[in-house]
Amino acid sequence: MTGERKTILDIRDLQISLPAGGDRPHALWDFNLTVGEGEIVCLVGESGSGKSLAASAAMRLLPEPHVHVSKGSISLDGTDLLSLSERQMRDVRGDRIAMIFQEPMTALNPQKTVGWQIDEVLRLHTRLNKAERKARAIEILTDVHIPDPASAYNAYPHQISGGQRQRVMIAMALVLKPRLIIADEPTTALDVTTQKQILKLIKELQQLHGTGILFITHDFGVVAEIADRIAVLSLGELVEQGPADQILNNPQHPYTRKLIAAVPALTPPPEKAMSKEPVVLEAKALRKTFAARGGFLSGKRNPVIAVKDLTFELRRGETLGVVGESGSGKTTVSRIVTRLLEADSGEVSIDGRDIISASKAELRALRKDIQMVFQDPMASLNPRRRVVELIAQGPIIQGVPRETAYARARELLSLVELPAAAANRYPHEFSGGQRQRIGIARALAMEPRVIVADEPVSALDVSVQAQVLRLLADLRDRLHLSLLFVTHDLRVAAQLCDKVIVMSKGEIVEAGPTARVFADPQHPYTRSLLDSIPGRGWEPPVLSVA
Amino acid sequence: MSIPDTILTPPAPPRSLVLWRRFRRNRAAVLGLALFIIVVLMAALADVVTPGDPLRLAGTPLTAPLSVAENPWGTDQLGRDIMSGIFHGARISLAIGVVATIISIAIGIVIGAVAGYFGGRVDGALMRVTEAFQTIPSFVLLLTLVAIFGSSIENIVIAIGVVSWTAPARMVRAEFMSLRKREFVDAARNLGVSDISIIFREILPNALPPVIVFASVVMATAILMESALAFLGLGDPNYASWGNMIGQGRAVLRTAWFCSVIPGMAILLTVLSFSLMGEGLNDALNPRQKK
Repeated sequence: MTGERKTILDIRDLQISLPAGGDRPHALWDFNLTVGEGEIVCLVGESGSGKSLAASAAMRLLPEPHVHVSKGSISLDGTDLLSLSERQMRDVRGDRIAMIFQEPMTALNPQKTVGWQIDEVLRLHTRLNKAERKARAIEILTDVHIPDPASAYNAYPHQISGGQRQRVMIAMALVLKPRLIIADEPTTALDVTTQKQILKLIKELQQLHGTGILFITHDFGVVAEIADRIAVLSLGELVEQGPADQILNNPQHPYTRKLIAAVPALTPPPEKAMSKEPVVLEAKALRKTFAARGGFLSGKRNPVIAVKDLTFELRRGETLGVVGESGSGKTTVSRIVTRLLEADSGEVSIDGRDIISASKAELRALRKDIQMVFQDPMASLNPRRRVVELIAQGPIIQGVPRETAYARARELLSLVELPAAAANRYPHEFSGGQRQRIGIARALAMEPRVIVADEPVSALDVSVQAQVLRLLADLRDRLHLSLLFVTHDLRVAAQLCDKVIVMSKGEIVEAGPTARVFADPQHPYTRSLLDSIPGRGWEPPVLSVA
Repeated sequence: MSIPDTILTPPAPPRSLVLWRRFRRNRAAVLGLALFIIVVLMAALADVVTPGDPLRLAGTPLTAPLSVAENPWGTDQLGRDIMSGIFHGARISLAIGVVATIISIAIGIVIGAVAGYFGGRVDGALMRVTEAFQTIPSFVLLLTLVAIFGSSIENIVIAIGVVSWTAPARMVRAEFMSLRKREFVDAARNLGVSDISIIFREILPNALPPVIVFASVVMATAILMESALAFLGLGDPNYASWGNMIGQGRAVLRTAWFCSVIPGMAILLTVLSFSLMGEGLNDALNPRQKK
């Protein structure tokens, strides 16, 4: 494909069968893919597209016999992997193909030290003696830029940070200098700044060793950052394949065009003149510390400060984004203003009425005005209740007669663009995006003034994400709602928020209109966040989606 | 290619149908269900098949089974018909099993739910009480309660319920501890739902499946406990329970084995039916099952 490059992985006409009764007979259909030496091929697709199964097939790790390769060939440096015995395949795995998983905490054994786990790989695949193996392990830990490799060698996985764990996974994958690395969403669970470092590391090591990388992801930002070549999967079919530049800027297939069009552009909306609107939600000097509970015999641990002196105001019809990395306290903020968590001190008022010191009865009345949309649409809907009950529950508690509330719930379904037939179903019968629409309808049923949305789209595929965001923005404008929008995704924040506050370690480091903050960040932390947005240099082309 | 995310999938089949389909796949469970239906039929038809008081004299004492047409399963040493005792005893055993299970599960749910939902000190206090009950062997506690309050059938049932709530309580507590952190609980609180409603209307339905499975075990042990009490002569002598029959048959075990073996078989098959059904329910209610 790229001239002189030697092909490492060659997948031809691959077809993977799914057990009867699934939503489709084949997970993959006529799948062709090559990975050359020193090449990063990104396999992109939404959930359920079969991208992870393609990786498992190359590792021969499919859950056979239910899911099995029914046709085609997979060869690595000319060796047909499908004809190898299980014993021979074991030597190939780790030695010639290595895999990096999404969640490093679960992929590492929590009972063994980092050093032991790297040592195990070497013990199984090489004839090095103990001292040589240790030297090699420390060398590879140095290569992945872990600070103080000697102490990391003796650390347990829970003692090092998430980013460092992912570095350890990469070290384990690289220690035998494999020909091919399969990386399955390796940065999805990481913060943007860590993600940026890991992506840089993968690229750097790959250039050093000439490894071929099959990189599986759903995030076009990441793709833009590292891909040499891109293959797009949709429902088991390879719809488009080509050099990164061509696919990103001039996609041909309608599905690819749709995916790329759904990537939020990094240009925030123009500043709106909001100062005339009344302030709806106001928070003053909020503070919350989590007391770390020490054990009975162990010493006391230091309490963690989650939110420190937080002050903000939200006007009618305005969207305030709360952005930050994990541990910045942004979720704590969303729980305090809805009083799902008790603050240590401070004030939150809706239209001048204080919610922090409200009694139980007052609080119940106040809840009507401030509603929440949760992150995980699966977990936030009670699986044992019908949709109509879920939506009508709030108004019924507020004293609305059951019939009226049910009728209103059915109206709300059409407002969030769900068919009326959805009313009598249970949450598990819906897709992620549909569930989030139900969550929004539930919040709207209370006719609130403020909606607090905690990462409402981060569990959704990018095309669904775009639809839900559009719905939220549309409802906000039609119903004059104010949104407090908590997110880690700066692209999403750029699309929706009029103002943002950037949080780091419980404190606001920067606040202001989104356009101004994005164009001219003042605080170094904001700058590093903005610099870390994957694919920052790539502006998604404006496409008309048929 | 573009699929708007608002198109619904075809409706799922009703839950009861899905559960039955899964239950049916476990053959042992179907056998258990068949046995259970037989026991229920015996209890229901006792007055039709074997009319009259089962404790009355019905033939020559110690008639062997299959020798006299009036007493097909034989008689005991007081001349009482064994078949009549088994059929009427099915009522007592089932009633004891069901009522004692309801009592123990109800206490277990309330204590476990409150402990698991509120956590902290409430949990600490309730769990210490639970542990106090757990440290005493339940049968010894049962003997003590029956010795103190007397061995009427009501007291026996209540006592069995009171000694067997600890395991369900711990189970419900564990379920609540994991479920209370789910977002749907926060969502309900955010709508202003009260704690009581959250516990019983939001969380409990989600915590029930393992408890229902466990109830079958409790029911089996309740029947066994009653039999053991009766065997020791602490049963209610006014009712023909299976345990009473074994207890009295024990005296003539060497000469007339059938006096103890027939009610023993009845207990064995009934308890077996509960365990098998429990297995099947476990399969049926397991959310990881696809079909």
